[in-house]
Amino acid sequence: MSSDIDISHPELGSQHPINQMKDSIMDLLESIGFDIINGPEIETEKFNFDMLNIKKTHPARQMHDTFYVNSKENVLRTHTSPVQIRGMLENEPPFAFISGGKVYRKDDDATHLPMFHQVEGIYVDKDVTFANLKDIIYEIIHSLFGKEVQVRFRPSYFPFTEPSAEVDILSKDNKWLEILGCGIVNPIVLENCKIDSSKYSGLAFGLGIERIAMLKYGVSDIREFYKSNLDFLKQFK
Amino acid sequence: MKVAYKHLVKLLDEQPDINDLSLKLFQLGHEHEIVNNILDIEFTPNRGDCLSLLGLARDLSVFYKSSLDLNEYKDPISSLDLNFKNHSNAACPKISFLKIEIDKDISEYKDYLQSYFDDLKINKNNFFTDVSNYLAYEMGQPTHCYDFSSLEGELAFKETNFDANIEFETLLGSKINLKGINSVFTLDNKVINLAGVVGGMKTSCSKNTNTALIECAYFNPESIIGKSVKYNIHSDASHKFERGVDVKCQEKVLRRFISIVNDHTNITNVSMFTEDSKPITNHKIKYNLDKINKILGTEISDNRYKEILTALGFLCKDSIEVPSYRTDVRHQNDLAEEVARVIGYNNIPIVKLNIPKKPNKEVSLENSIRSYLVDNGFYEVINAPFINNNHSHSIKVDNPLDSNREYLRTNISDSLIENILYNEKRQQDSIKLFEISDIYTFNNGNVDVVTNLAIIVSGRRGSNHRDFSLKLDEKYLEELFMNVDIAIPVAINKIDKNKLDTKVKAPVFVFEIEVKNFQPKVLHEAPKLLDFLETIQYRKISDFPSTFRDISFLIKEPSQIDILRETIGLIKDPILKDSFIFDYYNDEKANNIKIGFRFIFQSYETTLTDVEVNIIFTNIVNMTKAIDGIEIPGVL
Repeated sequence: MSSDIDISHPELGSQHPINQMKDSIMDLLESIGFDIINGPEIETEKFNFDMLNIKKTHPARQMHDTFYVNSKENVLRTHTSPVQIRGMLENEPPFAFISGGKVYRKDDDATHLPMFHQVEGIYVDKDVTFANLKDIIYEIIHSLFGKEVQVRFRPSYFPFTEPSAEVDILSKDNKWLEILGCGIVNPIVLENCKIDSSKYSGLAFGLGIERIAMLKYGVSDIREFYKSNLDFLKQFK
Repeated sequence: MKVAYKHLVKLLDEQPDINDLSLKLFQLGHEHEIVNNILDIEFTPNRGDCLSLLGLARDLSVFYKSSLDLNEYKDPISSLDLNFKNHSNAACPKISFLKIEIDKDISEYKDYLQSYFDDLKINKNNFFTDVSNYLAYEMGQPTHCYDFSSLEGELAFKETNFDANIEFETLLGSKINLKGINSVFTLDNKVINLAGVVGGMKTSCSKNTNTALIECAYFNPESIIGKSVKYNIHSDASHKFERGVDVKCQEKVLRRFISIVNDHTNITNVSMFTEDSKPITNHKIKYNLDKINKILGTEISDNRYKEILTALGFLCKDSIEVPSYRTDVRHQNDLAEEVARVIGYNNIPIVKLNIPKKPNKEVSLENSIRSYLVDNGFYEVINAPFINNNHSHSIKVDNPLDSNREYLRTNISDSLIENILYNEKRQQDSIKLFEISDIYTFNNGNVDVVTNLAIIVSGRRGSNHRDFSLKLDEKYLEELFMNVDIAIPVAINKIDKNKLDTKVKAPVFVFEIEVKNFQPKVLHEAPKLLDFLETIQYRKISDFPSTFRDISFLIKEPSQIDILRETIGLIKDPILKDSFIFDYYNDEKANNIKIGFRFIFQSYETTLTDVEVNIIFTNIVNMTKAIDGIEIPGVL
């Protein structure tokens, strides 16, 4: 009888499902033409709030929403938008950037965590319109959820975009599910970054990675992603 | 904000049904739920002007005609001689007071007032406070009612810094200690009202109040924000003032107040005091339809543009005059949003955007390491950075969620040790984890960041028969990276498990290194990306313990191995979690092969009993021993 029968098989591990989702979305956006830029998770209030037109009176700036560190000298970034501010200050239009990574907000329950992940994109050029924004958003959503999915744009409010929108998709059980936020870059933000808003306009969008992963995988409790439970992680090979 | 459908449609000339109204509210950006004809609307923070029946009707009047006519007191009102001083005009640029005197008790409320309390399930207080609360619902402007007889002395408003705690009893009966900068009303220098948040007990109205002083002010949102959270008083007034009320509405609101009182009782005396620190003019924006169409990518006509803005209360002439209640509209993009809301975001065309494509980039070092580890059976984890202990370079969180999460971690390894303990408690006996993360520390007044990789292993090398009896140790880690020509340039630490909260004795090995110092000679290929349209349905994890059974098969003919595996693969049972070959021995002398199969059982609903496991296990035995050429020694 032969002794070299190989009945073993390679035992693969897995990349964390959130990083898989983040990297795959960023790869999709790179294929559209966006460049990846990175920035720090510990930020100044100037970059995290002021430059983004988030005024001192905005609820997000209160101690109950934002983590402050180093005797209030810094904040843990509440979104990846400050990375785009840095990108805009260092480059001249036209440009298309995406930034992804960890962000922090003072929340902790079954649907919110103090740490979660975002991917945000910005494109600034001459005559960028809301109609162009819709094109990009449809491309992202069709790639993520298929071309048959029904999409809805709703007016919303973000201090750094105007007009602003939230985008929903219709689920199989006929419920509208919020997928991302987007809008036309507020000219105040462009001017803060020394970009002439009479010449240039921009579009911006942001996705919560956990939210997309929860929808795609049917995970109902966001905390499952961060228990490091091997029984959980093995399902995402 | 909760709004009764029947109250809202009274302000509209048309009477849309609730479903049609709901669609229009969504189109305008007012997300809501409807329960029993009550709309629970979540307004965006910039739309403080909509926090009332009137505000909502103003927004809806672009779709449904509405005169927005509230019955106001029209007669001249005499001037009130009030002993009042405003010491902080910046915090309160406009304020009016109405003194109103009635001569009899109110036995019952008119339908519209009674309906407010009944339909929205709101508790009544006293007549003047009830009118004030209703008025905030109807017009969006909070007012505060003082019992006039309690106001002997100098009334003043000031934004002031309290160095020491000042005790203040609210009209709700709670006592709070005012400290730091606060906007307050004082009577002879004693605080009687935390402005824009909550009034005080000593000067509040009661059921016996016949003469009330009604305060109606515009407070700068910056002077109000944060106070309700600071003192844990979440009032409707603070919610509205924080978002901004109509800077010009004071007299109109007080005239409506008189009218409502007049509907219920006889007013014997009414007088008004008004202080305008500076005239406030409406904001104007240049008329530029071309810009609007460029922002939206539309071809809105001149007539349609004017029609939309006029219906929303804007005055369209050479420039566009913004109504005083729309403090959120300041430039062309704001006007573009108004137009977009009315025509519907979903009706804006889609115009193809072509961003120049970039050449494909090389795989990053981080992703190369990730991919190599995954191919060798490692699982990536992500841990939150918050921990409870610190060292000299730790960054402290000023406002942590709790005392256990007061500092940012200064290494990844400690998090991975916690992950090992968590998984050991869940009967995992082969654990290979890694994490790549930025680590932040505070050094010489600066925030420093490094990107670290930490790898931890414990237990069996794998469930495969080749690895099952081998242990994860330093040698394993060294060989793993030797394969890609990397000598691990840091010490591999063996963790002393006696110091950890675990009964599992398997040794744990961990090392941590800055990613940039871990350079392979050849980069591994990039990690696999997701096919987004492939369905991965996550299976909920059981919280109950697992158990296992082993079977040793004796196989005469090697070709039967595949049949055995296929047969086992066909066995489906909710409690059979996993099965794998953990032992393989080719006995050439005896001319047979021995294969050890391990079956793991776990329920999602309960801790399994031997009886429950034995039922499925017996089934497995019976199915496999029926295969020709396969025996299970010890089983007939």
